[in-house]
Amino acid sequence: MSRREEILQKAMAIPNMPMPVQKVLAYIGNPDADLRQLAKIIEFDPGLTVNVLRMANSSFFGGGAKVSTVKEALMRLGLGRLYQLVIASGVAPLARYAIKGYGLRPGELLEHSVAVAVASETLARELGVVAPPYTFTAGLLVNIGKTVMGSFLEVDAAPILTLAHEQHISFEQAEELILGINHAELGALLLEKWGIPTPIVNVVRYRLRPDESPEPDLALDLVHVGDVIAKMTGIGMGIDGLQYAPSEAAFARLDVSPQQMENVMVAILEQIAEVRDILMENTL
Amino acid sequence: MEIVVNISDMKVTSRARDVLVTHALGSCLGLAAYDPIAGVAGLIHCLLPLARDAKTPPKNPFMYVNTGIPQMIRAMYGRGATREHLVLKAAGCGRMMHISNQFDTGASNIAALKKLLQINEMRLSAEDVGGTIPRTMRLFADTGRIVITSCGRSWEL
Repeated sequence: MSRREEILQKAMAIPNMPMPVQKVLAYIGNPDADLRQLAKIIEFDPGLTVNVLRMANSSFFGGGAKVSTVKEALMRLGLGRLYQLVIASGVAPLARYAIKGYGLRPGELLEHSVAVAVASETLARELGVVAPPYTFTAGLLVNIGKTVMGSFLEVDAAPILTLAHEQHISFEQAEELILGINHAELGALLLEKWGIPTPIVNVVRYRLRPDESPEPDLALDLVHVGDVIAKMTGIGMGIDGLQYAPSEAAFARLDVSPQQMENVMVAILEQIAEVRDILMENTL
Repeated sequence: MEIVVNISDMKVTSRARDVLVTHALGSCLGLAAYDPIAGVAGLIHCLLPLARDAKTPPKNPFMYVNTGIPQMIRAMYGRGATREHLVLKAAGCGRMMHISNQFDTGASNIAALKKLLQINEMRLSAEDVGGTIPRTMRLFADTGRIVITSCGRSWEL
């Protein structure tokens, strides 16, 4: 069996998201979903309830007068936002582990993932474009493959990094040479297996190489540049550091200016603490 | 005691047993300053080169090279440090592979620092900047020793 096959086999054995999360996602996928019924399902689960309330009351997602019931929270957040939040709550626990082989302490990868998600949405605001609704969630999930490699498969990233430095290639290219697969593709395959919607899976798959995506996608470009910005700030950076090559084409498609990039850097520093705490503290 | 300097943060100490540390320098600039005679140490972690709006002072001056570093050095003077004895060492300012110059914040950060020092007729005694590696920077307040850690290796600066 090749290293790639071995990795895929092990990764596919990783348990799906917690049951309450799966239930809510299945329900939202139903065309007759109604908010009242959904509120009931969520109220069944204390962890999700707390997350939904905190998210609705956070300044990043909600703002305004405090809400105290799940129903009010749903009215404020809307179905789309709620959907993202539920996925985030389901996957965030995976990002909280220490990822030893990648030089990440507990919580650091989650912090980085939140920075990517916040950067992607903030970038859209800065550019005056409407981010597709799945942008934030996709941003949050882009590192799931690193979690899988580092914690579940106990991959040691040090030789990968050495190869990348020696050959002047990006970290994910070195992953491919050594492991037969990079963390972006691995993450996408896992999310696909979990039934996460295709637009999100595609962003995760192509976020390091947006120009290889079969279809142009604004969310993908936002997450690509958001990821670059998050890496540069250093928030939750692993040993791979800045060993990645940004796509000039994606920067050009979005028409980002250096000033706008700086504004996003400032904004993520101000906003990540709030979002991270919501996802960090409530275990499902 | 280890004192953590966060992103866009600055700390100064006169206690010899303190160690100032900043983690996760990507494109950010870490600048350590030490006066061996006065026994004063300072460390700053700047995100960006310039606070652009000259009229309104930035909410957090330590975010920027051009506002944060003068403030750190003044704070050190306030504790008895002098310009003649200050030893300055820089780290960080990394860059993504092949990123175009206009988005190379790391290069802008080190350029802003060098310009600031030139105007004030000061100089860096050492620097470990650029490349793609993440860096952690430690300043030992007893001796002014600087240790950079990256990818499981450490070296003195």
